[in-house]
Amino acid sequence: MANYLAQFQSIKNSCDHIVIAVEDVSDLWPTVKGRFDERLPFRRACLNNKTRNPVFVENLNAEFILTTDSRLRSRFPQEQSLFWFREPYATVVLVTCEDLDEFKTILKPRLKLIVQNDEREWFIVFVSRAHPSNDSATKSAKKVYDKVQVEFSTKKRERCCKFDIHGPEALFWEDLESKIMECVRNTLDRRVQFYEDEIRKLSEQRFMPIWNFCNFFILKESLAFMFEMAHLYEDALREYDELELCYLETVNMIGKQRDFGGVEHGDDQAALLNPGNKPLSQIVQDDSFREFEFRQYLFAYQSKLLFKLNRPFEVASRGYSFVISFSKSLTLHEHKLPFCMREVWVITACWDLITASSSEYKAGVVAPDIEKEFYRLQGDLFSLGRVKFLRLAYLVGYGNDIERSPVNSASLSMLPWPRPSVWPSVPTEASSEVLEKEKLILQTTPKTKHFGIQRKKLPLEPTVLLREANRRRASLSAGNAFEIFDGHSVMTDGSGPDGSSKSPNPQKKVGISMSRTFSSPGNFEGPPDRPMRIAEIHVAAQHALQGTISDEDLWKSLSTVEEFEKKYLELTKGAADNYHRSWWKRHGVVLDGEIAAVCFRHGNFDQAAKSYEKVCALYAGEGWQELLADVLPNLAECQKMLNDQAGYLSSCIRLLSLDKSLFLNKEREAFQAELVRLAHSELKDPVPLDVSSLITFSGIPGPPLELCDGDPGTLSVTVWSGFPDDMTLDSVSLTLMATFNADVGAKAVRSTTAVLKPGRNTVTLSLLPPKPGSYVLGVLTGQIGQLRFRSHSFSKGGPADSDDFMSYEKPTRPILKVFKPRALVDLAAVISSPLLINEIQWTGIVVRPIDYLLKGAILHIDTGPGLSIEKSFVIEMESCANLSQSEPDTPNSSGSQNGSPTAYKQSEQLTLEDGKVNFPDWASDVDSVIWVPIWAKSDSLPRGSSSVSPQRPNMVDGMRTIALNLEFGASHNQTFERTIAVHFSDPFHVSSRVIDRCNEGTLLLQVILQSQVQATLTVYDAWLELQDGFVHAGRGDGRPTLVSFPLAVSPTSKGGIIFNISLGRTIGKDENGAEQPESILNIRYGISGDRTSGAHPPVAMEYSGSDSARKDLTFRSVLVLQRPVLDPCMAVGFLPLPSVDLRVGQLVPMKWRVEILKDMEDKEISKHNEEVLYEVNANPENWMIAGRKRGYIPLSKKQGSRIVISVLCVPLVAGYVRPPQLGLPNVDESDISCNPPGPHLVCIMPPALSSSFCIPV
Amino acid sequence: MAITASFIIVSRNDIPIYEAEVGSATKREDAAQLHQFVLHAALDIVQDLAWTTSAMFLKNIDRFNDLVVSVYVTAGHILFIY
Repeated sequence: MANYLAQFQSIKNSCDHIVIAVEDVSDLWPTVKGRFDERLPFRRACLNNKTRNPVFVENLNAEFILTTDSRLRSRFPQEQSLFWFREPYATVVLVTCEDLDEFKTILKPRLKLIVQNDEREWFIVFVSRAHPSNDSATKSAKKVYDKVQVEFSTKKRERCCKFDIHGPEALFWEDLESKIMECVRNTLDRRVQFYEDEIRKLSEQRFMPIWNFCNFFILKESLAFMFEMAHLYEDALREYDELELCYLETVNMIGKQRDFGGVEHGDDQAALLNPGNKPLSQIVQDDSFREFEFRQYLFAYQSKLLFKLNRPFEVASRGYSFVISFSKSLTLHEHKLPFCMREVWVITACWDLITASSSEYKAGVVAPDIEKEFYRLQGDLFSLGRVKFLRLAYLVGYGNDIERSPVNSASLSMLPWPRPSVWPSVPTEASSEVLEKEKLILQTTPKTKHFGIQRKKLPLEPTVLLREANRRRASLSAGNAFEIFDGHSVMTDGSGPDGSSKSPNPQKKVGISMSRTFSSPGNFEGPPDRPMRIAEIHVAAQHALQGTISDEDLWKSLSTVEEFEKKYLELTKGAADNYHRSWWKRHGVVLDGEIAAVCFRHGNFDQAAKSYEKVCALYAGEGWQELLADVLPNLAECQKMLNDQAGYLSSCIRLLSLDKSLFLNKEREAFQAELVRLAHSELKDPVPLDVSSLITFSGIPGPPLELCDGDPGTLSVTVWSGFPDDMTLDSVSLTLMATFNADVGAKAVRSTTAVLKPGRNTVTLSLLPPKPGSYVLGVLTGQIGQLRFRSHSFSKGGPADSDDFMSYEKPTRPILKVFKPRALVDLAAVISSPLLINEIQWTGIVVRPIDYLLKGAILHIDTGPGLSIEKSFVIEMESCANLSQSEPDTPNSSGSQNGSPTAYKQSEQLTLEDGKVNFPDWASDVDSVIWVPIWAKSDSLPRGSSSVSPQRPNMVDGMRTIALNLEFGASHNQTFERTIAVHFSDPFHVSSRVIDRCNEGTLLLQVILQSQVQATLTVYDAWLELQDGFVHAGRGDGRPTLVSFPLAVSPTSKGGIIFNISLGRTIGKDENGAEQPESILNIRYGISGDRTSGAHPPVAMEYSGSDSARKDLTFRSVLVLQRPVLDPCMAVGFLPLPSVDLRVGQLVPMKWRVEILKDMEDKEISKHNEEVLYEVNANPENWMIAGRKRGYIPLSKKQGSRIVISVLCVPLVAGYVRPPQLGLPNVDESDISCNPPGPHLVCIMPPALSSSFCIPV
Repeated sequence: MAITASFIIVSRNDIPIYEAEVGSATKREDAAQLHQFVLHAALDIVQDLAWTTSAMFLKNIDRFNDLVVSVYVTAGHILFIY
C-alpha cells in the first residue's frame, strides 16, 4: 500500500477539483465546450456534508472532461476504488437529433447502453440546433426531445434538459447546474459512504498486528481530500484531526520503534505550514511515518484548511499548542538531533505562524474577544520565539547584551540547557575565533547599576554554562554512557531546576535508541582532555549552530551582535505590540521595558525613558515594589541623561519612597545625596516636586489648638520623614484648610529651617492670625535648595513601621480652631459711688480676663481733663477672685484686711511708666483690680442751696473719665479700649434755711449737711464765715450753737447744724477793705471709708499711718444768705364772694383789696405817682370779664392806704375753675404779701334752666 | 526537586497585600523577584479568565517553565495566587 503513496501524492497535486465527464454522443462538445466552461466554477452549490446535512458552498471548481479523454480512460479498477475521489462526479450525455426515426433506431439504443452503468450519475443534455425561425426544425427537435424525456426521465428524477443553441439559454444553465449538482451530490454521498465504510473496517482492525497505518492514512486523506475538493473544508479538517489523533495513538504505542526524523538538512526550519515540504514517500520509512515530518505535514494541511475557512486565529491557537507539544517531542529526541535543533525549530515555527496568521488575519472581522485572543496568541508566539532566540544568543556569547531583567531571567533561568548527546567542542581551526572571543569577553565591562546599587545579577541560565558544558564533556570523556545516552535523567548533582517538568515520563524513555551518527558534525574531533574555557564554549556552540541552522536569515541574526539586537528588538516589539493589542498590559509593558533597555544601551535615552516610564507606572500603580525597584533606577538614569531634572528628582523621591528593605541603606543615602546635590546646585529654576510618598504629616494627637480671633500661634505637627538620613529643609510651610469653606481658608503657616531626622519629627510652625473657624491639615510644602516640594499625605500618627502608617484619606480631625471675635477681657470701674474731689483717691479698675491669658499685658491709662494720676504713689494691683462675692456682702470691709480670701489673694505694687502699667504674670488668668491714685481737681467752691431755692448739686460737674487701653495677647495683637467714668463729689451737700426767731431780729440758720459719699463722715468742727449784712449772734466765734461735735454723718444721711445769726454789720469790716459777698461754711471732718465701696481717706493719709497723726479734712462751702427775707410793704387780698352759689352765666363781682402795709416812700411802684397798675388775668374760656382788665388805680404810698378793685365776671363753665387773678405788674413780688392771694378754685354751678340759652330749632 | 512556592494575596486593584515564600528548599536569592514577576504577569491571564468562569479556583492558569500559577479568586475579586 505504501507504494501508492507517491502516486497518491501526485494525484493530489494534479487534481484539486471535481471532474464532470462529458459523453459526447453527437459530436457536439467542440461546439458547446466554450459555453459550458464559461459556467465554471459553479457560483453556488448545495452539497451534503458528512452528516448528510445540506451545505452551501461557493465557487465550486470543476472541469468538464470528455469520456474519451486519456485521463479517464487509462485507469485500473483497483486504482479507481482507492483514488475514487478523482473519478467524475457526474456524466453529461450530449445528444442531438432532429429526426424521430433516427432517434428511435440509432440514438436510443446507444444512449441506453451508456446509461446502464449504475455507478454513474448521468443526465442527458439535448442540444437543439434548430433556429427559432425555422418552425419545422424546431418542432421536430421538440418532438425528439419529448421522446427522449419519455424514455429517460422518470417520475422520480428528471434526467433530461434541452439546450437551444440559438434560443434563450438562461433557464437551461440553471437547469444544467441544478442537474450537475444533483449528480455531484449523489456521487459525493456515495463515495463518502464508501470511504467511511472502508475506514471503519480499518479502524476496527487497528490493534491487530497486520494493521497498517499507511492504508488508513490513504483512505482517510482521500476522504479529506475529496471533501476539500468539494469545498467541504470543515469535514476535511475533521478528517485530518481524526487522522492526527489516530497517528498520535499509534506513534506512542509501545513496541513500535520508529525513526523520529528531523535529521535532514533543512529540517531545522519548521515546515508546519508547508504541506508540500517533503514528498510523502520521504516521510514514510518502512511502513511507518516519521513523527517529525508527519506531524508537521498534518498540521500544514489543517492550517491550510483553516485558512480556507478564514480562521487564522485558530491557526495561531492550534499552532501555539502544536509548537509547545512538538517542542516536547523534540526534547525527547534531542540527543539524536543536531545541536539546538529544538530551539531553532521553535524559532522558525513561531515566525512562520506569526507571518502566516497575521497576513491572513483581517482585523475587525471577528468578535472582539477572538481578536483579543488572536493578538494574545501572536504575542505568545513572539515571546516564545524570543526566548529561544535569546537562548541561542547566549550560547554563542551575546549574554552580555541581554538585559538581566526579571522577564528575561524568568524565561531563561528555568529553561534547561540543550542536551545534545555530546556537547560540541571547538573545531581545531577556530583558535583565532576563540582568541577574539576571549578578547571581547575581557573588554566587556560588567554593567553596573546606577546609584551604585549592588544587586546580585539575575541569572539568564539554569546553571552556569561553563560548568554545564564541561560537565557534559567530562562525563563523556569519563565514559559515563548513561549520562550521554540519556540526557533526560534527573540530575544527580542537584544543581538548579534542570530536571524540568517538561521531562517526559521516564517509562517512555525505555528503549530510546541512540545513534551517534545523528549528532551534529564536528562533535567528535577528539575527546576533550581539559575543561573548555567560556570563550571556547561560545565558539564551539557557534560552529555547532552553524551546522544546525539552515535558515540564512536566522544565522545572520546570530552572526553579529548588531544583527542579534535587530532581531531581538523585532521579536520584542512584536510581542509587546501584540500583548498591548490584546490588553495584556502587564506582558506588553514589561516587554516595553526590554526595548527601553536596548534603547538605553544605544543612547536613545528619550525613547528609553518613555518606555521605562510606562513600566514604572504599571508597577507603581499596582504596588509591585520589588519589580519597580528593579526598573526605577534605570528610568532615573535616563532622566539624568536627558537632563530632565524634574523627572529625575521625582524618580529619586520614588526610589526613596519604596519599601526600605528593597535597597540597602547606603543606596538610599545615595538617592538622598543625589537629591540634595541637585536641589542645591544644578537647578536653574525652582522645581516643584511631590514628596507625598516620602514625607507625611499629621497633627499632634489630642484636642486641636484653640486660638482666639486675631491671635497668632504656633502649631506643632508630626512629620514623618522617609529619608534615610537627616534632611535639612530650608523652609517648611503648611496650609490649613478651613472646614467651613473649601474655597477660602488655605492658611499658610511657616517655619524656618527644619532638620528632619529619619522617622518621626515634630515641627513647630508659627501661625499667622487666621480667620475664625476650624481648620484641618492641608498641604505641606517646603523648599530644599531650589526644590519646592509638597506633600499631600497624612499619616495617622502611628509609628512609621505599622501597616497603617500612611493614609490617603484626608484627616477630618480639626487641628486648629479659631474662635469668633468675642470679648476677651473686661475693664470696669470697681465702684460707681463718688469719690472725694480735690483729694487723692484710689480708683479701682477691675480687669477680668474672659477665658484668656493676659500674659504680658500692658494697660495704658489716660486720664481725662480735670483728673490726674498722682505719680508720687505707686499703683497697686491685687487679685480679686472673690471681689464679686465680697462686694455686696461687706461693702465697708477693707480688701486688704478681709480675712477669708487672703489665702490666695495676691497683690503687687506697680509703677506707671509713660502712662503704661505692665501686668505681672500672676494676673494673667485671674480677675484683678488695679488701684490708681488719682486726683480730681475742682477750683470752684461748692455752693450750698437754700430752702427757698433748693437745688441739687450737678452730677456732671464731678464726672471725670479715664481712658483705658489694654494691649494683650501673645504679641500684643489684641487690644481692648474702654473709657470709664469716675464720679467725684464733695463730701457734703449743704443746704440752709433761715427762720426768724422773732426775737430781737435774730435769725436761726439751719445748715443741713447731706453726705454724698459712701463713707461715714465725722464732722469734728464747723464754723461759718458770714457775708456782709449778717453777724453772728451769741458767742460770735462762728461755731454752731445747737450741736455737739463730733457729728457722724452716715452715707446718704443728713445732719444739721444750727447757727444763730442776726442782721447787722460786722465791726471793723472796713479795715479789711474787701466785702465778703457770700458766707462760707467751714467743716473740719474725717472720713472713714473703703476704696472698694466708695470715697475713702485720701491716699496720702493712708500712708501717714495711725489715728494719732490723723489729719482732718476741711470742707468749705458757700452759703448765700439773703436779707430781708420777710418784709412785704403791700398786701393784696381777695374779698369773699357773695354767699349765693355761683352759676354759669350769672354776673359775679370779683373784688380785691390792695393795702399799703408800710410806707413806700423809697419804692418806685409806678411812674405815675400815687397810682398803681393792676391787671386781672383770667382764663377766657372760663370767664368773661366785664370792666377794665388793666388799669391804674389811685393809691397813696402812705401806710394804711387801701383800695378795692372790683371786676365783674361771668363764669362760662360749670365746675371748679380757677378764679381770675389780680396782678400788680409794677410792684416787686417780694414787696407783696398775698398769701393766700385768692382762692385756688371756685365752684360754679350749672346754669338754671333758661330759654335764653336755647337754640332755636 | 523542591523549589520554593510563592504565595501572594492581591487586592482587587491589583496591589499585592501579602507575600510569603513557602517551602523548605534552599532559597535562590533571585527567586523572590522572579516569583513576583511571574505572579504579576499572571494577573493578565486572571483578568481574562476570572470573568469567563464561575469557578473560584483557577488551576494552572499559567506556567513559566516549571513555575505553575494557580489562583483562587474570592467573591470580592481578591486573588490568592501561588
